[in-house]
Amino acid sequence: MTLAEVLGHEPRTSYGVVVGGVDRDNWAAAVTDVRELGYAFFDVLTAVDLEAEGFEVVLRLWDPAARQGVVLRTRCPREDARVPTLTAVFAGAGWHERAAAELFGITFDGHATTHLLLAEGFDGHPLRKDFVLAARVAKRWPGAKEPGESDSDLTADPTGPGRRRAVPPGVPTGWGPPR
Amino acid sequence: MTGGSAYQRGLAALRAGAPAALPPRSRGIIALLEENCTVCMLCARECPDWCIEIDSHKQTVPARTERGRPRVLHVLDRFAIDFGLCMWCGICIEVCPFDALFWSPSFEHATTAATDLVHERAELRSWLAEVPAPPALDR
Repeated sequence: MTLAEVLGHEPRTSYGVVVGGVDRDNWAAAVTDVRELGYAFFDVLTAVDLEAEGFEVVLRLWDPAARQGVVLRTRCPREDARVPTLTAVFAGAGWHERAAAELFGITFDGHATTHLLLAEGFDGHPLRKDFVLAARVAKRWPGAKEPGESDSDLTADPTGPGRRRAVPPGVPTGWGPPR
Repeated sequence: MTGGSAYQRGLAALRAGAPAALPPRSRGIIALLEENCTVCMLCARECPDWCIEIDSHKQTVPARTERGRPRVLHVLDRFAIDFGLCMWCGICIEVCPFDALFWSPSFEHATTAATDLVHERAELRSWLAEVPAPPALDR
């Protein structure tokens, strides 16, 4: 079998990386077949938040004999962030799935992902794009100054009248001190 | 050639006291040519980890001709990069519209105190010495 036969389409080569998309329901079976092609080394599994288009789980495998890698991707919608686990194919994938489960809030069906990285009782998934970085609100932003201004100009009267201040990216309106 | 032999040759060169051979476009440290800086604040705003601090003031230049108008200039007071926060992404250098920032290949800047990683403008300027010439233009 070839990679194209396993995937059902010709994989794309992007910046020298062979990339193939896999249907979510077919995820574990396709990865098993790709492993049988010689891509026997599990490199990394992670996820990408595509916002309205859901989440993409990205897996990189390596063929130690042919010295070449392949990237496999699958997507799940945001409302139904579930992907089958790969722990039956690569036991080491469990570690990466636990990290992705915590940081992106993706459920890996068949893998009891337990607490790994975040503090006990932590609310939210920090690598989701809609996760607000509270430190960005609490910390003073160096870019708030306009050309020709110093820190002393900012602290003089932060709530006083004046021009609307530039807000750092990632801070929703209504957060932080009045601007 | 194997990675191991390249490593051994690198080690031998270091033991002989030769400077490390760096690939082109090496990202060692960021240098500032403050004459080119117009205090537009773009680098400080684009920096993903907020490591660039800029202070400036306005200065009025009187009209140079009889019918001219006085002009307001922005004068740089402080330009500091905290290399303890910097992640070497180079966005500040990419975004600078007037080429005031450059990558210098010089990389041995470890300090014993985190506060010493904040490089003020004089220090940033001194890194200009090792900035390589730009690549030749396409013909």
